[in-house]
Parts: sequence; structure tokens; C-alpha cells
Amino acid sequence: MQAKPPLGTNWIGLHTMVRREVSRMMRVPIQAFIAPWISALLFIFIFGFVVGGRITHIGGHRYLEFVLPGIVMMNVVNAAFLQSSSAIYFSRFIKFIEETLVAPLSYAEMIAGSLSVVVLRASVTGIGIMLMGVGFGATHVESWPLFLFWMVSVSAVFGLLGIIVGLWSKSFEQLNMPVVFFLTPLSMVGGTFNTVEMLPEWLRWLAWANPFFYFINGIRGSMIGFDETPPGLGIGLTLLSLLVLGLTVWRLYAKGYGLRE
Amino acid sequence: MSIPALKINNLRKVYRRGTVAVEELSLTIAEGEFFGFLGPNGAGKSTTIHCVTGIAEPSAGTIEIFGLDSVKDYREARRLVGLCPQEFNVDPFATPRQIVDWMGGYFGMPARLRKERIDMLMEKFDLVAHQKKQFRELSGGLKRRVVLARALVHDPQLIILDEPTAGVDVELRRVLWRYLAEINKDGKTILLTSHYLEEVERLCRQIAIVAKGRIARLGSKEEIAGGPGGLEQAYLVATGAEADHVAGQ
Repeated sequence: MQAKPPLGTNWIGLHTMVRREVSRMMRVPIQAFIAPWISALLFIFIFGFVVGGRITHIGGHRYLEFVLPGIVMMNVVNAAFLQSSSAIYFSRFIKFIEETLVAPLSYAEMIAGSLSVVVLRASVTGIGIMLMGVGFGATHVESWPLFLFWMVSVSAVFGLLGIIVGLWSKSFEQLNMPVVFFLTPLSMVGGTFNTVEMLPEWLRWLAWANPFFYFINGIRGSMIGFDETPPGLGIGLTLLSLLVLGLTVWRLYAKGYGLRE
Repeated sequence: MSIPALKINNLRKVYRRGTVAVEELSLTIAEGEFFGFLGPNGAGKSTTIHCVTGIAEPSAGTIEIFGLDSVKDYREARRLVGLCPQEFNVDPFATPRQIVDWMGGYFGMPARLRKERIDMLMEKFDLVAHQKKQFRELSGGLKRRVVLARALVHDPQLIILDEPTAGVDVELRRVLWRYLAEINKDGKTILLTSHYLEEVERLCRQIAIVAKGRIARLGSKEEIAGGPGGLEQAYLVATGAEADHVAGQ
């Protein structure tokens, strides 16, 4: 047998993982993109024209301006989580995850391949909603670098969480549990619709303890310049979450948890 | 002495619920060999193959593929192996061309090389007319051809075929036999599991019979199938099914 040269990063393998996941995602464009955009349009209509007119300005901003970044973030989180958890779970359920297990792909390449598509889907979803907001004159972007940081880092955080849930789930019921019990409630009470000051004093700790609060405030700061959290705290917590979740997922892959028999 | 294509030493695999699937299994397959791996359902053949290819984690023992440790040097080892599994572990909504192309991509094949190999394999396995249909729309025989093409796309040195002719028509079986004999002649090592004894007898030069997770018999085709009753008798004796077989007659 002829000796093969040593393997470096398998860029073609990584690119193939991205191509495969994009192809899978594009089979369901209505679910992936149209549904969140329609729901965001409804939010814009209700908060901009039905309810918004009756609510006084918050922090010098119209109510729709205040709410829209939270709607962007809620959809980014959902898109990221659903993309990664369903991709992993479906590939385990049908067993075509074995295609990547038998291939010369490192764990880091497998994770990076999944996460790239997660970030792509979540960013397209989020930027689409932001552009709708701009079209209706309801928002703008004050800092593009910060806006992109929040978009990409929060997608990656929830993409990694989705991978963990996708590896852990043994049924579709389990796969949906985190969305029902954690993601939706926490994002609803995470400062999308109100400031901390609007909450009763005894309940404010709940906002500060909710990670969504930092993500929503971060993106709101990058879009309309209104941020209730101390500077740098949200960014620090997000980077720490990325590190912890990234190491956890890498460890799970290395142990073969949910992947190997 | 050349490095064996596959060397398994004291392999043991215990599943989470405590089922011992493989126990102290050792075998060596020389480069260029055509090796038959026989045994009843549940004997541990597929588990052994899964441990070799990275689908399962061995509980104990070592596996070397062309001298490379399948756990420590897993990336280098895996690119030398092509697996045609028993089950259709395929994205059912993808087309045969996509399935084979993606596998080539995972193995790091550049686009032009992939295209050449895929065109050749689609032709070889008569898949040209079906290459743009969804996998789930194909018949059982066509599905089997797709997973075979997928196993061969990266031109592996060690080809592992887990019951590749189960459920396929006589025509494809013969096409496959011819192709396997041809690539084995070109130096590829083949590990074949099958329940069709005549297939193993026709193609393989070395045979191992597995029963209850252990190697029950190992030797050349002549040694194993040369006795009275041929390979079938040897198989029944080695797997402990002889008494039942006789009682059933």
C-alpha cells in the first residue's frame, strides 16, 4: 500500500458538511425563513401600529424601536437552536450520522461544520427581520461590528446548546422540551417587551439572572444604542458561555456520547 | 513481512445495557486478502465491523488498520477504509449522486476527482438513470447499489462489506462479484460478511466463523470448506447449530 500524506485540516470535508446541511435546510425554506419573517411582520404590525401608539416612549425610543431588537434576538435564538438540534437528532435517528463517523473528520471539524450552517441560518433570519424593521422605519444599526458580534456569537451559543440537546434526546418529545420550557419563556421575560425598571422591584433579580436579558440588551445596544446592562458584562458572559459550551460539545464528541454505540 | 490490512487483538464490546456482543476476538487479515466473515445473526459480526470503522467504541482490545491504531490515529486509519453497512444509513431525501458526492467530500476528495469517480460508479452500478431521484423513492436493490457506490467512492484500501448482496437481484449480485474480484485482483483488501455461503465460497480465500462473539473457526477456504459437507457443514458445526439442524430434518 502506498503511504498517504499526513492529514491537516480536512477543508474539503468541512466544506462538504456545510454543503450537506445547507442542502437539508433549503428543503424547508418556509420553515427555516418564511415562518420567522411572517411572525416578525405580525409583531411589527401589532407593536408598531396597534399597541405601540398607545405606549409612551421607552428610553427616548418608540415602543416598536425598543421591541424590535428583542424580536430579532428571539428569532436568532430559535433558528440557531432548531437548526442544530434537529440536524443532529435527525441524523442520529436515520443513522446517517454514521457517514461522518466513518470519515476522516476531526471532532472540531464536525462541530465547526454544523455550527457554520447554524450561524448562517440564524443570521439570515435575524438580518431579514432587521431589514424589515429598517424598511418600516422602525430601526437602524448604530454599530455594525457589535450587531454582527451578537448575531454570530448568540447563534453559536444556541447552536452548541442545540447540539447537546440533539445528542441527548431519545425522542422528538425530548427534542422539543427545551424550547417549550426554557427558550420561549426565558426569551419572553428576558427584556424583549419591557425594561428592568418596568418590573416590580422584588422581581428585578429575575431579569438579571436571565441570560436572554444580556443577549437582548446587547443587540438592542448595537441597534438603537439603548442597553441596560453594564458595558462589557454581556459580551464577557457570552464569550464565557461559548467557551464552556464549546468545550462541553467537544468532550461529548470525543466520548462519542449519543453518537457511537 | 508486510503490515496486515487489519489486525484485531482481543476485541471486547459490551453495550450499555450489559450485552456482551464481542468477546476476546482476534484476527489478522493480510493486505490483498479476500476475507469471509461468517456467523449467525447476533454473533458479533456487525459489532466488530462497527468497532473497526468508528461507529462503535471498543470496550477493550486494539484494532490496527494498515498499522494505524483505529482509536489513536482514527483519522488516518479511517481514510483507508470503505464501509458498506447492512442498514441503509442514508439521508432519505438526498439523491444517490449527492449521497456519493458527500461521502467523497468527507474523505477530502477534490471536486474534479469526485466527479470522475462518481460518474464511473454510477455507470458501474447502473445508477445513471436514478442518480437524481430521492433515495427513498428507490427500490431495495437500487438502494443497495447506492450504499455500495458510497463505500467505494474514495477508492479505499480496505473495503468492508456487511451483507452487501442481501435483498439484491441475481444480476446485481453477479455484477458485484465481478467488480469485487476485479478490485481484489488490483490489490484491495476485502472483508465480506454474508449469509450466502456460496458467495463466500466463490469469492473468499480466508474465512472466519463467529459464534456468540468469539471466533469459532478460522482458516483458509480449503481448510474450512474442504471437509465432508463443505462450508455449510463446517458453519453448522462451528456455530453449534448442527444438532438443531439434524433434529429439524
